[in-house]
Amino acid sequence: MRNRLLWLSLLVLAISFGLVEFIGELAITEHRVTQVSILAALLRINAVIMIALFVVSTMLRELNDKTLEMIVAMPIARSSYYLGKLIGFIHLALIVTVCFSMLLLLYASGSQVLIWSISLLLELVLIVVLALVMIFTFRQMPIALTGVFVFYAASRAIASFHLMAMYPVIAHSSVSQKFIERFIEVLTWLLPDLHLYTQTEWLAYNTGRFEMLLPLLTQTLIYVILLSAIALFDFYRKNF
Amino acid sequence: MFRRYLDKERPFGDVPLPVTIVLVLALIAQLIWHGSQAQIAPRAEDLPQPLSPGTYIIGSLGEPIATAKVLNLWLQAFDNQPGLSLPLHSLDYSVVIEWLDTILELDPEGHYPMLVAARVYGSVSDRVRQREMMAFIFDKFSQEPEKHWRWLAHAVIVARHELKDMPLALKYANALADKAAVSAVPYWAKDMRIMLLEDMDQVEAAKALVGGLIVSGEVTDPHELDFLKMKLAELEDRMTKSRQDVDK
Repeated sequence: MRNRLLWLSLLVLAISFGLVEFIGELAITEHRVTQVSILAALLRINAVIMIALFVVSTMLRELNDKTLEMIVAMPIARSSYYLGKLIGFIHLALIVTVCFSMLLLLYASGSQVLIWSISLLLELVLIVVLALVMIFTFRQMPIALTGVFVFYAASRAIASFHLMAMYPVIAHSSVSQKFIERFIEVLTWLLPDLHLYTQTEWLAYNTGRFEMLLPLLTQTLIYVILLSAIALFDFYRKNF
Repeated sequence: MFRRYLDKERPFGDVPLPVTIVLVLALIAQLIWHGSQAQIAPRAEDLPQPLSPGTYIIGSLGEPIATAKVLNLWLQAFDNQPGLSLPLHSLDYSVVIEWLDTILELDPEGHYPMLVAARVYGSVSDRVRQREMMAFIFDKFSQEPEKHWRWLAHAVIVARHELKDMPLALKYANALADKAAVSAVPYWAKDMRIMLLEDMDQVEAAKALVGGLIVSGEVTDPHELDFLKMKLAELEDRMTKSRQDVDK
């Protein structure tokens, strides 16, 4: 809370609320759908940026203040330290999700907001783990944050990239084209399916269903374990 | 409250004089620089071509619906550029149609592009451009009659009363009636061809359309209802004025 995450969340909420109310006045029709679509997209990207910044900056402070070195010197397993941090950050992600969902309740039905919120929480959990991996690996804020956002952007857009590569407007058979196609295909296998998470359509057109969350939960579990393994692998090899 | 923060600072006198001088000089230089720049003149910009829907999806990190809503508002406001207000008919309508198509592709459930096609871009005084927009609506109706019938109903009214093209109005009204067997087109809309043949005046036709829309429950958005009522009031006002002119 020293980073004033809650105050930042409330500020984001206030600005977003003002903005979507203004947008609602501009729309000739579908003003509720317009408002909720833009608000949901804004809140989601803000939540991702805030959590990534928070995790990276907090961990970096522990590294710079030598707190981490002190803890490592104690008889505490590195995995316990990692899991403690992970659970703490997930709680913060939960607070941000609850705050943001409250505002959405003004514009969308409760059940759809609940589905969207659970999905956002799963997405933020992935961001927390990803940010931990990046900061353990790179130990510098610019590189770690760039890594998080590049990974996130690629995961959100990889399905569209894949479709564009598979069905190009003008077909080419050059080696470079083949290479790009294969490369994107490999990425689709490696990256999480983030385009399925936290869909604005659920809030705009009431199309969300609770069973949609099951594959998201499975994907999150698999990827959290994978990224945690990477983070721990790196963490255990580090000398302080 | 602010005193706490001010007390933490050292006095202004502690700042070296050269730093203060540089600060003031830099501020003056900035003001002189800005004053020497040429005044910005408002310049109308052409509507650019839309990018592919895939590009917008990637650019928005997988948010096609939110992007569609933002593009709706941007396109709707394009005639109001900084310092200028362009007449709608000065826009290149073939590009406008491309934008509307792109937005519909990003958000297939949205009605916004159809509404602006019918009631914003289709309400200009340029008959050629009005026809382009009505053709766009007819094209979309042919693809998905259940979703777009109410916009074609509007096109019937425009073709009859603004374009004064009875064959075109009948073509649209017939399409509405023909699709009735397989779609949810309501009775009043199917009956528009009868209304055409009875040659009703514009206000009555518009009243029938608005009344039918409200009764059908298709229009639920309060903003759209207000917009329709405003349009109706405008029509009635115009009608009253033309009647007064005839009486004189």
